[in-house]
Amino acid sequence: MSSRSVSAREYENSDQFPGHSASPPVPNSSETEGLIFYHMDLYGSNERFDIFPEEPSGQGSRFLRNTRRESALSSEKCQNSQEAGYDLEKEVAELAKMYGLDEDREKELELLGGHLETVGSKWLPAHTQKSGLQDSAYNGSKSSSPVKDQSQSTKHQELPDEVSQDEDQSKARAEDEADSHIWSREGLSSSGVSDERSSQAVSEEEETADVFCCTCKIPIRAFDKLFGEHKDHEVAQLSSAVESEKEEIHKNMCKLEEQIAQVENFASHLEEIFITVEENFGRQEQNFEVHYNDAVQVLAQKYEEQLEALGEEKRQKLEALYEQLVSCGEHLDTCKELMDTTHKLYQENDKVAFMKEAVTMVDRLEKFLKKEVNLKLSTHPDFEERAIDFSEVEKLMNSINTIPAPCAPVINPQAPNAATGTSLRVCWGLFSDDTVECYQLCYKPVSNERHSDEQAENMLKVKETYCTISNLLPNTQYEFWVSALNASGISPPSERAVYVTAPSPPIIKSKKTRSCENAALVCWESRDVNPVDSYTVELSKLTDKENGDAITESIVGIPNCEALIHLQPAQSYHISVKALNLGGSSERSEPVLIHTTGTYFCLNEDTAHPLLAILDDGFTIACDELENPECDLPVYDNSFTRCIGILGSLIPFPGKHYWEVEAEEDTEYRVGVAFENTPRHGYLGANNSSWCMRHIITPSRHKYEFLHSGMTPDIRITVPPTKIGILLDYESYRLSFYNADIAQHLYTFNSHFQHYVHPCFALETPGTLKDLLIRPVWHPSCNYRNRIS
Amino acid sequence: MCRVTNHQTRLPRATSSLALNAFRDGGYIRLLSSCNFSMSQVLECFIFRFNLLLFPLTVKTMALKQVSSNKCFEGFQKVFEHDSTELKCKMKFGIYLPPKAETGKCPVLYWLSGLTCTEQNFITKAGFQQAAAEHGLIVVAPDTSPRGCNIEGEDESWDFGTGAGFYVDATEEPWKTNYRMYSYVRDELPKLINANFPTDPERMSVFGHSMGGHGALILALKNPGKYKSVSAFSPICNPMQCQWGKKALGGYLGSDVSKWEAYDATQLVKSYPDSHLDILIDQGKEDQFLSAGQLLPDNFIAACTERKIPVVFRLQQGYDHSYFFIATFINDHIKHHAKFLNA
Repeated sequence: MSSRSVSAREYENSDQFPGHSASPPVPNSSETEGLIFYHMDLYGSNERFDIFPEEPSGQGSRFLRNTRRESALSSEKCQNSQEAGYDLEKEVAELAKMYGLDEDREKELELLGGHLETVGSKWLPAHTQKSGLQDSAYNGSKSSSPVKDQSQSTKHQELPDEVSQDEDQSKARAEDEADSHIWSREGLSSSGVSDERSSQAVSEEEETADVFCCTCKIPIRAFDKLFGEHKDHEVAQLSSAVESEKEEIHKNMCKLEEQIAQVENFASHLEEIFITVEENFGRQEQNFEVHYNDAVQVLAQKYEEQLEALGEEKRQKLEALYEQLVSCGEHLDTCKELMDTTHKLYQENDKVAFMKEAVTMVDRLEKFLKKEVNLKLSTHPDFEERAIDFSEVEKLMNSINTIPAPCAPVINPQAPNAATGTSLRVCWGLFSDDTVECYQLCYKPVSNERHSDEQAENMLKVKETYCTISNLLPNTQYEFWVSALNASGISPPSERAVYVTAPSPPIIKSKKTRSCENAALVCWESRDVNPVDSYTVELSKLTDKENGDAITESIVGIPNCEALIHLQPAQSYHISVKALNLGGSSERSEPVLIHTTGTYFCLNEDTAHPLLAILDDGFTIACDELENPECDLPVYDNSFTRCIGILGSLIPFPGKHYWEVEAEEDTEYRVGVAFENTPRHGYLGANNSSWCMRHIITPSRHKYEFLHSGMTPDIRITVPPTKIGILLDYESYRLSFYNADIAQHLYTFNSHFQHYVHPCFALETPGTLKDLLIRPVWHPSCNYRNRIS
Repeated sequence: MCRVTNHQTRLPRATSSLALNAFRDGGYIRLLSSCNFSMSQVLECFIFRFNLLLFPLTVKTMALKQVSSNKCFEGFQKVFEHDSTELKCKMKFGIYLPPKAETGKCPVLYWLSGLTCTEQNFITKAGFQQAAAEHGLIVVAPDTSPRGCNIEGEDESWDFGTGAGFYVDATEEPWKTNYRMYSYVRDELPKLINANFPTDPERMSVFGHSMGGHGALILALKNPGKYKSVSAFSPICNPMQCQWGKKALGGYLGSDVSKWEAYDATQLVKSYPDSHLDILIDQGKEDQFLSAGQLLPDNFIAACTERKIPVVFRLQQGYDHSYFFIATFINDHIKHHAKFLNA
């Protein structure tokens, strides 16, 4: 019993294959997979059914099949009358909905393949239910006969065209079609459309199954599980069985879709291959045509040439022979004539006449006989050996397989970072498939001058499509062009490409470097003649660690030769500069060390009074002689004329600045700040563009003045400072003076500085004067900021 | 120009002017602003906690009797009364508690007033509270002498006795029992203050006016290291040489001039052991007592110059001896002390 039911199931499975758009619900999917590709062909005939031996014949066996199925499902039918508690209707509706999605596709398949018999049996659960239904209809033993009649009439109405086909086949097909029709109606009825037949079908279905027999793969009623043939079988809740089946269906559907996509891809690929084959053929054909035509032409030409030469030789030979023949004839004539004359003479009777005649005659004979008769052949009958020369043809034939001379390579424009100061990496390429043995790279520096041709071209042979050329000049443009070579010859040169080498590293003007707690002003100069595009400044903060030299920041795109760099206070930095052009960046310049402790500035020598000397350290000013401060020494436009002073160059940064000045206790000086344009003919502090502390020695004491616009407060200081700290704070509008040795605050100007000010220094002139040391230094104490602010 | 961290190019090469602006406007503001943090937050915190901490303070000062309390620049100006063991009488003092005192310990700056003054003059006239609040200094202003001791002749003159304690420990009868202002200011008062207010006992400074300037100078000079800094308005610099000084020192210490030297700033400078004292002195040029020879700053400056004691002496054009003069320069003095007290 069970074996028969299995065979029935197999048949159903086989029915499902053609409808590959719907997933086979059968767990036995290996069979399915094996057949899936060939559905159309296989279904072209009914031979396929022979695969299943238990099925005696596919043709006209519909009834037989149905009867077999009937026996398999007879118990089911019995159960149908008993209504089980399972609500199948919903699930059936779901299934219908799910498969309804595929109906359009099925129809397409039907039209294509014309194998309609496959459609109705695509869904296993549906089919089994339906077959049960149909069986009952065929048997007519139960109350379901009206259903059968109806379905059959429907089938005939809907498929009139098919009647003409083979009867058995059409019958089977029509039944299946009817099944599917009923099935779809069932789906509809479950969603609310009522019609007698379908509702009956549904009710019957409801009775049909409540559990699923896993062994027989059919829905059964619970009753059967308990008492029927499925007693020992494994059963599952029908809904869960449906779920798992659905899942399986879905999985297989996905697989099918994948395979469709694969095959479609493959097909389109095949099409492409078709085209390619066609193209390749054309190419080859043309190739052959060209080459063989050439060969034929060459051969014909050769033949013509050879033939012509041969004809010419023949003509010459014949002419020579003829000439010889003519001259032979002439000779013969002369002989004959002589013979005749002699003979006549012989017969002369007159002795006188004879003698007369004989003398002349003997002379003539002698003369004639002296002439040698040339009997040598002037020409040979043989022709010259003419080798038939195939060399050219051979060459031509060979050239069909050998390579042509390459096309001109294409030189690439300069790539970023392809250049250093002295080297360039040039790249080029070949667009054609030409075989190239090597390349010939030429270059020369680009020059604006007319006689640039004089400059030597350099040539290199390179195997690769790139080359690094060294020993070049920095920041210089070079012209490159390249040709390709192989055995057949050399290509025309490529376009000329201009490459440029990277610049030389700039040189930081360390003497002009200025800094304060929060910024540094770095100036540098380029070492190259040609201008560069921009500069990059790189900072590395020095830490306590050994390897504190990592670049921590860089500032790019600086167009000119100076940069104001914001820094953190109380740190040390190495600052270096790189120059950049199209070719790349130069090496780093020698770094300059910046401490952001205190303010570091340089003295502006242009402003120095002629009597004032700046010592070698750059920070000390001195005045040795003071006879006549307003002497006739050469004076620069910008220098102080009366006051023996000098300005410093402070970094233009609107923050706090602190510097210190060292002076001997008995040196008289003025130190402070002044606008850059402070009058050069006046004294520092005497005008409103300068603020300064003045130290003079009176007979009784050291006197300290804090001068601005010539005014000073009356302040007595008990400890003469030898190190004066000056704190300039643009933000709080203050200029404070300190005795830096003891951190003693001396005086504070409150002034809103409209412009940047610069440190100023001057030496006073009472009698002799020792050197005044002015040295911007950094306070060693870390917390001096607290103490002086 | 633009700027990068970790050596990554911040921008591809930019046009100069635009990039330069970006550099100025953007790049560094972040750097700088990261430093200027939380000042306002800290202040808010102070204000919030102010009321919570006030009660424990008043409860704690059982030995003290609060006479008055006025909110002033977010802090409080108060007056307390207490029984002085040193002076054997009730003494009042003014104390300004800055807002910072609500959350932490503050340094104390002692103000010594001049002749005839009480604790009231300074706290009502000098206008020091704003600067003290800003710098977080507790400012204590004691009275200038014992009061109500019923000593014969204590109220006879304005420059001796009541209101003229001269910040000495008297050795002569009848003054020696009560008139111990030096010890009171040096020992008892700081002890009391430190016990009752959120102070940092290690950080204290002293300043004063006229006779109080003299008191401040001698306290600083006689106790090297005890006071972080000292300053004075128009101090009596050399009492041994002036009329006020001679009267007071003679009255309290007796006729032995050598004993006076212990309370004379100009004399004390000569034996001051080191130079770690930053003295700021402001003197009105139109001070009638300067011209009367009561103050004698030149003697003090000369001594300091000789001993290399750092003094900045500012002779202020047009100012007299009054509290108007003090109010003008009080901020400089508070700042001067704050520099050392908050270092």
